[in-house]
Parts: sequence; structure tokens; C-alpha cells
Amino acid sequence: MAASFFLPPPMALVCLSSIFVQSCWYLKWRAPYNVCAKIRLCTFTETDKMSDLTQTQFESSDDELPEEVAFDASKQAALKSVKDALVSAKREKNLLKEKRRKRQQLFQEQKKRKRLPEDLLEEFDTETQKQTEVTDNNKDEEETNTSETISKSLPENYTVIRLKDESASNSLQQSAVDFIQSRFYGPRTHRTTNAELLSLNKKRGANKGAAVQFANKKWAVDVKANVAKTNKRFMHKEKLIPT
Amino acid sequence: MVKHPKESEKHTKRGSAMGEFKVHRVRFFEYMPSGIRALAFNQQNERMAAAKMDGSVEIFHCSDRFFQEKIIPGRQQAGIEGLSWVGERLFSAGLNGVITEYDLTNQRVKYTIDAYGGPIWAITGNQQGTHLAVGCEDGTVKLFEVNEDKIQFERNLDRQKGRIISLSWHPSGSKIAAGMMDMIQVFNVETGHSIHRILVDRGFGTSRGKECVVWSVVYLSDGTIISGDSVGMVKLWRDDTGTLIKSHNITKSDVLSLSVSQNEDSIVAGTSEGFVVQFQFLSMVLENNDKDWVRTRTFRNHTHDVRAVAEITTAVASGGMDTQLVVRPFLDKHEVKSSASKLRKIQFPHRSLVSCARKAGTLLFQYPGHLELWRLGESEGEGIPGSSLLLKRKPEKLLHLKVKGEDHIRCSAVSSCGEWIAYSTTSSLRLYKLHCDSNNVSITKISKLPKVLGSASQLCFSSDSSHLFSASTQSSVHMVSLSQSECKFVATFKTKSGSHQAIHLLTASEDGKWLASANIDNEVHIYNLQTRKAHCTVPIYSSAVSAMAIHPTTNCLFMVHADQQIFEFSIEQKEYTDWSRLVQRQGLHKIWLERDTPCLNVTFNQKNPSHVILHDMYMFCIIDQSQPLPDSKSQFLNQLTLRSLPEEQRKSYSHAFKVCKTFKELLCVDVMCDQSLVVVERPLEDITAQLPAPIKQKKFAT
Repeated sequence: MAASFFLPPPMALVCLSSIFVQSCWYLKWRAPYNVCAKIRLCTFTETDKMSDLTQTQFESSDDELPEEVAFDASKQAALKSVKDALVSAKREKNLLKEKRRKRQQLFQEQKKRKRLPEDLLEEFDTETQKQTEVTDNNKDEEETNTSETISKSLPENYTVIRLKDESASNSLQQSAVDFIQSRFYGPRTHRTTNAELLSLNKKRGANKGAAVQFANKKWAVDVKANVAKTNKRFMHKEKLIPT
Repeated sequence: MVKHPKESEKHTKRGSAMGEFKVHRVRFFEYMPSGIRALAFNQQNERMAAAKMDGSVEIFHCSDRFFQEKIIPGRQQAGIEGLSWVGERLFSAGLNGVITEYDLTNQRVKYTIDAYGGPIWAITGNQQGTHLAVGCEDGTVKLFEVNEDKIQFERNLDRQKGRIISLSWHPSGSKIAAGMMDMIQVFNVETGHSIHRILVDRGFGTSRGKECVVWSVVYLSDGTIISGDSVGMVKLWRDDTGTLIKSHNITKSDVLSLSVSQNEDSIVAGTSEGFVVQFQFLSMVLENNDKDWVRTRTFRNHTHDVRAVAEITTAVASGGMDTQLVVRPFLDKHEVKSSASKLRKIQFPHRSLVSCARKAGTLLFQYPGHLELWRLGESEGEGIPGSSLLLKRKPEKLLHLKVKGEDHIRCSAVSSCGEWIAYSTTSSLRLYKLHCDSNNVSITKISKLPKVLGSASQLCFSSDSSHLFSASTQSSVHMVSLSQSECKFVATFKTKSGSHQAIHLLTASEDGKWLASANIDNEVHIYNLQTRKAHCTVPIYSSAVSAMAIHPTTNCLFMVHADQQIFEFSIEQKEYTDWSRLVQRQGLHKIWLERDTPCLNVTFNQKNPSHVILHDMYMFCIIDQSQPLPDSKSQFLNQLTLRSLPEEQRKSYSHAFKVCKTFKELLCVDVMCDQSLVVVERPLEDITAQLPAPIKQKKFAT
């Protein structure tokens, strides 16, 4: 099969590898997304850079004699490659399928191990059925239009809360507060600490002093306690304190 | 911030030129102011309203040295997002979805209306004073009609997708600009439809992923819309075409607030980094007609986010998360150097939050949600002036009393003997009796209070702890008697004049004969407690009274005003005393008058009747009435020089005002019965430690 591709000349192809055209069927190079590339397989055996080939080169047969390749042979080769490709794809699919099946079985077995014995489950099942039947009957008597059974359990994302516990306005207010909090103190804001602010003022001020964590006893008390503890431990370990 | 040991108290000995005091230096009052969220300036009566993060609203009198006239306390878990004046009425709106009107005379909430739009982000009134617009979370701008007694919902403008963060009326009242997420919508008020949808750029780099929030918009009368957004740009838009005129990048973080001046020639923008930028409508060449908005000044007076700015006629007021209200005058508008042309930083409230039980040696601290009663420590031995004494017994916390309900405390008092505690919120008053044995402390609530006692704007116990005075509505004072476990109504004192403003100061005399009250209209009334009738009224002075007290022996009312003037009024003679007239004739020293924080407490020294002890935020001062007043040429702060002089020369140089600046950021200075001074300090560094995180700013050489 002859193939050629149309490309507007200035566009560059991203050619991922230099390939022998005949042996590839997959699109191993990517044209820019806004270029429609009509791809035709090339029958030449060696092509270094596909971008070098132009349409005229493919179709110009006036200057040179083309190679003598029997039509049948090349046809066979092409068909074979297609078949191989299909077969390998199928094989892979089957492999994946097998894997999935095995996994599913494993999960089922694990689930079985976790579940209660079969007979207990059957008992529960019959009881719930009886209850739903009773309620269904009641509902049918009251409302003639209900087509669906009212199940005991709620749909997935719903919970039941009392009105006075949480009102809609509270949650709206909370979301507004969260919005402000995230805009002001959220992840991408460039905030620093008050300790740093005061320490920098001291550093650049008229009377230069140490950072507030060091100068003032009240700041960073737990950090200092930690440091004291590790120091003590170190000294004890290295036996620096004469006993 | 990590908790530090609460009991830190030092005893020091101070020596003034004529007396030595043992000073209890108290730092365990962990007063934490809350950040300023919104500012609104009322042009007509020159008042500035400031809304705080805890829901309280404070009103400052801009011409009276920014004295904090009124404080309307907030509630637990309440926040305010916007304030708006409509004429003389004040409205606010918050994230709880309600619009609140305030009763400014009685300093409380008048009523609340639910806007039913979800959390409200912005509230603004039109210039005509007829309508209020609120911007809600659900994307609607709701219009409310302002009636005489209430506001009423009129209609919604077209609902938008996205929350409305900021609003601004066109001065004609026909259009509204709304700042939302990533865009600005311009509405035609009459039809309710959106005229323009202006898309705001998201910025570049990392901010492309976040939505651009238009934090504030300003609509000028020539159709220019000015917006400040979270990318840090101030953009000018045309409203007829909906296009961008100019954009200024002023900061890397957000531009949080904008304010325009009355004559629309100046705009100030507050940023997240803490500086305030001014833009002025000028022409680049002098006397040319092609004017443009040009960035002129930058004010760096804050360390944390500036969430509110307001342009007063000749100054810019800014407030934010660092809890300070900074008023920065424009120096080109002031020709003379006066008190109005000074930079002013208002940090502490202008009401006393500490009450001292003089005989019992305990202190009552008023927090918004609870009260704490502490007993002072004791030290032993003597020392040289300026030294620290060791504590024999540490100060201990006797009581932690939580408020019932959600309101914040408005005022509180402890009796002199330390056995009675009273506090009031805007809705109720509570009285407790304290039983203090050597080890146990127990309190009992006095449940049956006289019905007359609603909420009080100020509370005061008599000096023998037998009566409680409570200032309530219409400038009246209720007097109730206290016995072992019950409380009986005795009398009500009303004023003959028609002032209905709330009383903010109450003081009783030591001998139990006189009671003085001062209200926001600068009226000071004196009542005779024995005849239970009004005695006299002090002549009205132009400035508000910031502190007053009655002298124990001479029964003279000593008053200090917000403009630092001092008056002494003799109650028995019903006229100013000679010393007061001398002070007025001679005038106070320049340095005394230039102080920028008001005096909050006046007390007297029992050992020396001519001493008056005052304090403001940065100093405390002992005024000796027997000594000559300083004249304008003499050195005012002369304590250190006097100490260096030998004894004989001191007399010629010393004057009446003895100022001590050793203790900083004072909340209260009082004298206990055992002649020791109590100085309650709150260092600003400790307040800064507990503020939210500031933006990181890169400074040179760090």
C-alpha cells in the first residue's frame, strides 16, 4: 500500500524516532493538533527523516527506476503485520481481563470471609422484606400515586439533622467566613509571623537588638523548653556533666 | 502566641520629688483589642464610625481630638462587614445576613432586619439619603427604602452569578457599580438591569489560578469607576463604554479598601501590606486643564492589613487588623501647626476597663465576654527608688465570671470593699456578692433586682459600698441600696435639661453626699445624695469630659477634658475654685496640651490632699496644687533634672506637674488604701504578638 502524508511545508513534525515506515502501523510521531494529517504508509524500506520526504518525492517516478518489489509479497507483508498487531492487541486485552477476573475473585473471597454465615443473612433479609411489604401496603392505601417503594435507607449523600441544630444561614455564614479566611490567610498568600515582623523592626531600628524570641522571655516558650530538653539530654549522653 | 505566665507583677519604688510610692506593676490584664473592619465618616456632624471585628461600633468625634464618644458593644460571633450613615442614622450589615440600625442616643442596637440574601458583604446609602443598597452572597443587590422609623425592602436588582463584594452608588443615585468576583457590574437602578459587565483581569503568574476579587469600588460623578482588587491594582474604568482607562499597580498583595473625598479630587487606597496610597486628580503641568489621576503619597502607618480607609476633609483615617485607628492629616491643607495637623494613633479605648477595690486590694478587669477579679501580690522590705522588690505572695486570680448570653459587657464596677461586683450589657444588669474567706471565694447572684434597673451605660458604687449608682436612658441615674443579700430601689435622678444622651462617667464623693455624672453632650450634673435632688450643673465646656473625680476632703470636682484642659469645680460653693481660675488664666503648658491621648482616670492621695494623680496612655502625672504652675518657658518634664540637683535648688525649679514616663501603655493608674500605686500596663508588643499574620515584606538589608 502506498501511503503519503500531507503537511503544509512550514509546519514541523515532532518525529519521535527515525523509523522504517513499513514496519510501523502506529502513529509514532505526533502532528500539531490543528493539522489534519492524512497518513498513508510508505512502501520504501528506508527513510531517515520523514519530514524530508515530500509528496513530489513519493510520486516522482520519472527520474529513477523504482525498486522491483512484487506486489503480492508486499501485500502479504502488510497483511501479516496488520494481523500480528491485531493478535497482540487481543492477547493483551485477554491478559488484562484475566487479571481483572482474578482480582474480582479475590475480593469476593475476602468479602465472603468477612460476612456473617449465610443463614443469619437470610433471616435478616426475610424480616426486612416483610417490613417493607407492610409499609408498602400502608403507603399504597394512603397515596395512590406512589410507584416507587420507600426504602428505609436514604440515598447516599443525605443525612438527617434537626432544624435547630444547624440552620442554613449558619452554614452560609461559615462558608463566607471560610472564603475570607482562605483569601487572606490561605495557602498562596505571602504571610509571615508577628515575631518576624517585630524582630525585623528591631534589627533595622535605631537601637538594634536581638530577635524578640531571644530578647523576651514570653515568646516561643515551648521551643525554648524543647531546646533546653535536648541540650540536657545531649549533655547527659555525652557525660559532659561531671557526676 | 504561646501562653506566658499570667502572674507577672513587679513592685518598684518610685520617688517623685516629694513622695515615695510602692508601685504594683501589673501586666496580667491581657487586654486584646479587635481589628477595625469598616469606617464611615459623617460629614454633617463630623463623627467617624468604626466597626470592629467583634461586632462593636465606636463613634469618634473628629473635631474633639477624636475622642471616643460612644461604644456600642458587639455580640459573640457577630461580625460587621460594612457601615453606612444615612443622615444622622447609622446602619451596618454583616455576614449573618441582617441589617442593623443603631440607637446612637442610648448606645445600643435599635432593630435588625434580615435581608434574606445570605451573608451581606456591602452596604451603602445613596447621596440623597432615600435608599440603602446591600450586596449579598447570592448575587443580588437589594434596595431598601429608608423610612422615618424603619427601613423597608423595596426590590432586588437583577440577580447575578457570583457574590457581590462591594457596592457604590453614582452620586446622582441612578446607577450602582457592584464589585464581584472577576468582574464589575454596573446597574441601572430604575430598571434593575445590568448596563455593563466589566471583566477584571486576573493578573499574571500564580494569581491566574485564583479568582480576582474586586474588594472595593468607587463611582465618581463624571462616570469614572475606580476599583481595587486582589491582584493589587487600582483600575479606572469608563462607565459609558465599560472600558479601562488606566490601571495602577500599587502592591503585590490585595488592595482592600478605597475612599473618595467629598469634592472628588482625591482617592485613598488601603492595601494588605499595610500602607495607604493617595491618588489625586491633578494635571501634570501646572494650570493645565488636562487633569488625570496621579499617584501622589504613600502613608506607611500600619503593620497589618488596612481593611478600611475614610477620607475626612483634611485627613485620611485608616484602620485594619493591627487594631489602631490612624488619622493622618494632609499637611497641605493645614496652614498652622495645631492639634488637627498631628498624626494620631488611637489604640486603647477611651473608657477605663479596670476598676480598683481600694480597701480590698483587688482589681476587676473587664473583657468583652467575661470579668476577672485579681488580688494583688505583696512584697516585703524597703528599697531605693527605682528598684524592684521581691514578691512575697504572688497575685492570684480570684474570679472568672462569664457573661450570660451573647452580648458583650458594656461597663462593670467593683465596690471599694471588694464585696460587690456589677456589670451591664446592652440588655441586662447583673449584681453579685462576693464572699472571700482565706482560701475560698464564692459569689452569689442577686437575682431580684429592681425593675427600673435595665441596662446601664455606666456603673458606680458609693465609697462605703452601701449604694450602687446606675446610669440609664435619658441621662438619668438610678440609686439602689445594697444590703446583705438584696437590693432595693431608692431614687432616680433626672436632669431638668432635655439632653437624652447616655452618661459615660459617674463618680461619687468619699463622704457619700455628692454624685457627679457627665454625658456625651458635655453636660456635668451634680446631685445631692442626702436630699436626693439635683444640686447644680457645671458650665458646659466645648470638649467632652474624659475623666473626673471628687476630692475626698475639699469636695471639689476635678475634671479633665479630651482637649487636655483641666477644671476644678467646688461643689459646695457651686463655682470654679481659685486654683482652677489660676490655671485658666495662666494657661497650661504647651507640652501638656500637645499630648495626644486623653486622661482616663483621676485619683487623689490620702496622705497629701494637694496631690492629684492623672494618667494617659504614655505617662502618669502628679499635680501638686500647692506648687506654682509651670510657665511656658520652663522645662515641663523636669523630674530627671530635679533629681540631679541638690536639695536647696530643687524648690526653685520644681513646678506643679510631675510627670513620670517610666511605665508605658498604661491602662489604669490608681491608688490603693495603703498608699501604694497600681499601674496596669499592656505593652504594645504583647498585643502585636496575638494579632493575625502580616504580609511578608521584603526590606533592604534583611
